[in-house]
Amino acid sequence: MSTIRVDAKVVMLGKESVGKTSLVERYVHNRFLHPYQNTIGAAFVAKPIQVGEKVITLGIWDTAGAERYEAMSRIYYRGARAAIICYDLTDSSSFQRARFWVKELQNCEELCKIYLCGTKSDLIEADRSRRQIDFHDAQDFAEEIGAQLFETSSKTGKNVDEMFQKVAEDYNSTAFQYMTEDTNVNLDQKKNSNFYSCCHGN
Amino acid sequence: MDGGTQGAAAAAWENGTLAAVDRLQSDRADSPTPGLVEGTEPGAGQRSAMFVHAQSFEDLSTEVEDREAQLGKSEGCDAEEFNVLVGEKPAQEPRNNFSSDNKTKEEDISSEAWRSHKKHIFVLSEAGKPIYTRYGTEEALSSTMGVMMALVSFVEAEKNIIRSIHADGCKVVFLTKSPLVLVGVSKTCQSDKELLRELHYIYYQIVSLLTLTQLNHIFQNKQNYDLRRLLAGSEYLTDNLLFRLERDPSLLLSAVTCLPLASSFRDVVSSGLQAAKAKNLVFSILLAGDRLVTLVRKKDQFLHHIDLHLVFNLVGSSSSFREGEGWTPICLPKFNTAGFFHAHISYLQPGSELCLILVSTDREDFFNMSECKQRFMERLSKRSAFQALKEALKCPSYSVAQVGIPELRHFLYKSKSSGLYTSPEFPTVYQTDGEQERLMRLYQDLHSALHHPTRPLRTFYRCGETENMLALVTSGFELYLCFSPLATKAMAVAAVNKLLKWIRKEEDRLFILTPLTY
Ligand SMILES: Nc1nc2c(ncn2[C@@H]2O[C@H](COP(=O)(O)OP(=O)(O)OP(=O)(O)O)[C@@H](O)[C@H]2O)c(=O)[nH]1
Ligand SMILES: [Mg+2]
Repeated sequence: MSTIRVDAKVVMLGKESVGKTSLVERYVHNRFLHPYQNTIGAAFVAKPIQVGEKVITLGIWDTAGAERYEAMSRIYYRGARAAIICYDLTDSSSFQRARFWVKELQNCEELCKIYLCGTKSDLIEADRSRRQIDFHDAQDFAEEIGAQLFETSSKTGKNVDEMFQKVAEDYNSTAFQYMTEDTNVNLDQKKNSNFYSCCHGN
Repeated sequence: MDGGTQGAAAAAWENGTLAAVDRLQSDRADSPTPGLVEGTEPGAGQRSAMFVHAQSFEDLSTEVEDREAQLGKSEGCDAEEFNVLVGEKPAQEPRNNFSSDNKTKEEDISSEAWRSHKKHIFVLSEAGKPIYTRYGTEEALSSTMGVMMALVSFVEAEKNIIRSIHADGCKVVFLTKSPLVLVGVSKTCQSDKELLRELHYIYYQIVSLLTLTQLNHIFQNKQNYDLRRLLAGSEYLTDNLLFRLERDPSLLLSAVTCLPLASSFRDVVSSGLQAAKAKNLVFSILLAGDRLVTLVRKKDQFLHHIDLHLVFNLVGSSSSFREGEGWTPICLPKFNTAGFFHAHISYLQPGSELCLILVSTDREDFFNMSECKQRFMERLSKRSAFQALKEALKCPSYSVAQVGIPELRHFLYKSKSSGLYTSPEFPTVYQTDGEQERLMRLYQDLHSALHHPTRPLRTFYRCGETENMLALVTSGFELYLCFSPLATKAMAVAAVNKLLKWIRKEEDRLFILTPLTY
């Protein structure tokens, strides 16, 4: 057992309970666990994925959506090659939160490719009236920010593998462009104090 | 309030053979006697202690009392206890019919069911904004909490501190820990001091999520801040902690219990963790469920048992660490209320009970910690200690029958110097939740008697309908025993020595005798 080499860092972002952990669970373990357990801090998992001839290992950071961890989020998305920003198709406030993450990444992580992910599509398939975020509105937003859009269901598995596969493929094709620069996750020990203050004052 | 002498057959107990003699017992091999001094009792660590050495139970309550006493003095006024005594009911035997009440958040606060809960806990901000309630929703309780805050401020305006209100079998205990106010409303026969201790735990739980610095910062900026925003999704940690306070002897004893494991294997595990060190690593903790396998710490850094209990609570309450590797900020308030540590939390194998917690000071340390874990795992499997651990997990406890004292049903033994305790599994008479809860409450009563603020007892014997209880404390240990109601006092006395001998014989397996540092 040696330390796993990670090719691409992928970060899951989004409001609490939109289904980030469920996406990772479905993708990595191909299962869906129902009772909700909010993530504490963040969880890391490495997942190898076949892209053409190559095997690429995605290092996936599943972050907690709870607001108290917001100040921590930078350490999870810094150096990320892809961010899957999730919103719950049945909860319009989660889309507002997704916009917040988009802005944050555009400001701080230019190299990070953004994937928008509308979750829990099984719910709106069962009852169309539950949809709160129009597909075309989301699509317009995605185009505007140069992101790709997916609508997934971790319950049925719909579109989940496809999304991660796309992430890996995109990484693979852009990796060539950056070959001369660093292609690995940056693990530099940039020293920061372990104290951080909070900025949700109001 | 008088935790010391309540109960039907309470008796301060003097007996020639058991009266504590503080006689130094230097040779560990000698048969132990109740007079053992701290450091030589069964289970005492051979090197240094693993935990911050705190006068355990007293630690919590004296802290407040000191502070309040000072406050009283500096203000030059009388900080007398503000007790409104409206006919206190005589303490009764704990009720039998206890069903562990689960969180019923949606409960209507005007309902009889809500009112009849034995213990309510409320947390509010100094502006009177609700932060947490054990039962019902915070929204529904905002006016009630407003009244509580009004009471606190009213008394403070007179340069006094409200501590408790006793009325009609109900106790209301206040703990002001700026910027938070905690209130406990209890119908149990717990003393104010015990309730206060529980409120402290809740306070530390909240601090461990946010740090005190952050809390202060938030409320300085905005007095009216709704803290529930930042605590969202953490309520179950507090709920679980409250449950533990009722049920887990570790919180009662301010101690931790170990997974029984042959010392040779435990040493392999400990030295494996010791070898897998890193610059910013402060504590390496291996847990098996609620039991400690081992704890290795940085030299000169100590972990306080309260901090460790908060870690246990975090890991035990959440399935979030079951997958992959967790990385989370955590404040250990007894270590430092100002800053976060960062904990790498992962199970050794999927589905395993063994959970490794590596605590670092550096938030960028995830991959270093991950590597430490890998190194530890390699070493474990090389020395086939992993297999031994898995074997040990199959019998994480032992039966009281092993001790060979027929009348003895159950016991709690705490070695004071190591901060570790041991206890057998519950016997068949205490199989139901209700019965276990009742036994725990009997232990709590004994504990209160031994730790009474003004009249602590050294020994305490109590005959009951359903069991006889004996408790004794020396400078080295605390021991609580539960006997069948047929046992006599003489039997109980004889049992103590026999039990201590047995624990001495088994101490290698039941305790961590050689804690390591890096
Ligand atoms: N019907 C349905 N429910 C889902 C789906 N994905 C997630 N859920 C449910 O939504 C709830 C939250 O899911 P999580 O994956 O834990 O949410 P999260 O984004 O990780 O939440 P935090 O960790 O708090 O940030 C759970 O009860 C899931 O069962 C889905 O595709 N369909
Ligand atoms: Mg999650």
